[in-house]
Amino acid sequence: MWLTQVLINALVLGCLYACIAIGFSLVWGVLNVINLIHGSFIVLGSYLAFGLYQTLGISPWYAIIVAAPLFFVLGYLLQFLLLNRVINAPVLVTLTMTFGLDLILNNAMIYFFKADYRKLTLSPPMGSVSLFHAVVPIDRLIATVAALALTGLLYLVLRRLRVGRAIVAVRLDRDAAVLMGVDVKSIYAVAFGLGAALAGCAGVLMALVYPISPLTSSTFLGKAFVVCVLGGLGSVSGALAGGVLLALVEGVGTTFLGPEHATTLSFVLLIVFLIVRPQGLLGRKGFE
Amino acid sequence: MFGSKWVRCSVLLGTAVLAAASWSATASPARAEDVIRFGAPLPLTGPLAPEGIKQKEGYDLWAEQANKAGGISVGGKKYKVEIVYSDYQSNTPRAVQTTEQMITQDNVNFLFGAFGSGAAKAASTVSEKYKVPTIAAAASSVQVYDQGYKYFFGTFTPNDTLTTPLTQIVKAKAPDVKKVAILARNDLFPLAIAQEMEKSAKANGLEVVYFEKYAIGTLDHSAALSQIKSLSPQWIFITGYVNDLLLARKQMVDQEIKAPVVTMIAGPAYRDFIDSAGKSAENLTSASWWHPAEEYQGKDVFGSTSNFVKLFHAKYNYDPDYGQASAAVCGALFQLAIEKADSLDRDKVRDALASLDVVTFWGPVKFGANGQINSLEPPVFQIQNAKPVVLFPEAIKQGDLQLGVN
Repeated sequence: MWLTQVLINALVLGCLYACIAIGFSLVWGVLNVINLIHGSFIVLGSYLAFGLYQTLGISPWYAIIVAAPLFFVLGYLLQFLLLNRVINAPVLVTLTMTFGLDLILNNAMIYFFKADYRKLTLSPPMGSVSLFHAVVPIDRLIATVAALALTGLLYLVLRRLRVGRAIVAVRLDRDAAVLMGVDVKSIYAVAFGLGAALAGCAGVLMALVYPISPLTSSTFLGKAFVVCVLGGLGSVSGALAGGVLLALVEGVGTTFLGPEHATTLSFVLLIVFLIVRPQGLLGRKGFE
Repeated sequence: MFGSKWVRCSVLLGTAVLAAASWSATASPARAEDVIRFGAPLPLTGPLAPEGIKQKEGYDLWAEQANKAGGISVGGKKYKVEIVYSDYQSNTPRAVQTTEQMITQDNVNFLFGAFGSGAAKAASTVSEKYKVPTIAAAASSVQVYDQGYKYFFGTFTPNDTLTTPLTQIVKAKAPDVKKVAILARNDLFPLAIAQEMEKSAKANGLEVVYFEKYAIGTLDHSAALSQIKSLSPQWIFITGYVNDLLLARKQMVDQEIKAPVVTMIAGPAYRDFIDSAGKSAENLTSASWWHPAEEYQGKDVFGSTSNFVKLFHAKYNYDPDYGQASAAVCGALFQLAIEKADSLDRDKVRDALASLDVVTFWGPVKFGANGQINSLEPPVFQIQNAKPVVLFPEAIKQGDLQLGVN
């Protein structure tokens, strides 16, 4: 009986992990930038949801509508004004740049919001539903659906829209894209903006599930990293597959080996993937 | 082209940092004759920063009060208190380094211990080497004190003094509680307290049906909680820090896990836990080394527990928890010992500390032969109507144990 519960928990958690990772994966895949500020963007999104709910009583579901454009603009400007200047430098330079930006944003959040943990508690609480004899909290369920919807939306943007096709083109072959008349710098900014918007939305959803503090940003970043490697860089469906795989391994590992070994197991899996299948579950080889 | 610009920038930045560092070194005030300097290595940045900042608040309040009263009197002369801080960035090896630096370069007279049992133990080797009396404000594990050191003291009693009274209360008030499930953060203090809980549960005839550890930075407890639920224990005991416990409590509610007794250490001792957990904090039990609801009349600079709480509230605009109180009492104890020794000689102050037997706002203070306090009865409390209510010790009891955490 509780094994069903463990599996359902893992599926739900997997979608949350996918939600954390998808923006990170997009930026890494398209721009070849390991965006270390991603975790802090998520936390900032959580604070936005928390603030809107506490001061104006705006439900986190509507906060997504505010967060997405806000974070898009923030990400777009960051890429356009700063990161584009070093985008052609070796990967260590962009890494250092996002590392520095992350330090600034994270410490600014500690300064303004303090490091105390806060919790967005909806009143009345949403409760839980019974699904195949397992209890599933409604807030997590909605967050799961939202994560799936965001993933689907990004998939459609990349497949159907002109700008999406341009992003894919730049990802496949930057030089060819330039020859075809794609403005690479602005595509980079759009991709980074989308990544930031996804991080902001993920943050809003995470506010319902996790305690909020600037200190959690590195935990989110770590999960995003593992999910990307497991699922495949830059692949939308890969983030989903990686997230669910990670959550399943953690859940089953916790049950049979104890919770302290869940993390060990997930990192062993990471190393195995790096050796055996470096392109990830759904990534394609030579896609740099 | 770009590369050279980058190099130039980093060289400029490096020079600026160096200049700033040397400026701050020369800017620290020269050692004056009528000042007693206390070194406080703290994790002011990094993951332990919230705790480090709390300790700093405690030290600062003590220094302010001591100086307001004219200072510490030695040989008929009043000495002002000065606290030298250093940030070891939540990094234990760096705590050892900065402690040594404080003794050899900053010329501190006395030291406060680093935060937590792990860092305090590591740094204690240095202070012992230089024979500098040190009081640790946040080290409870016996392993810190069993090194045979002479100059190291601490204001936290061993961990079992928290779990034993709790188990006895539960046993007396809830005889139906037979099975205990324990989930512990795999970290020095949270794990040590969970192991003590396991011991005291077994000693009191309870069955421990689940004992597992979770890793630091765990983002999900649902699998572990599902397993606990399937074992239907009557007592669920979870250790960790505020974020872990908020998450675990939320996921317990999500999965509709109920039990007559749920204990969480150390979250409920903090105001931000109670505020954030809201209704789900109701009837949670916990224990800590001190609580603002206590009432002791002390001989220290703060006088009484209520006066300490009042002064703290006036300065910081919120209520202190045991972290800040312990830091403040460390200062107050140094003050008492220095005045008793009537000297700034480190050995004399060390002997005065070792023979101290005094009541403070923190409670009765007397150090055992190993340097760890052995006179304190840490309070057990329960959240009732969003307020902590003391259940033990008898002398300061405010209410009875309520059963049922839903």
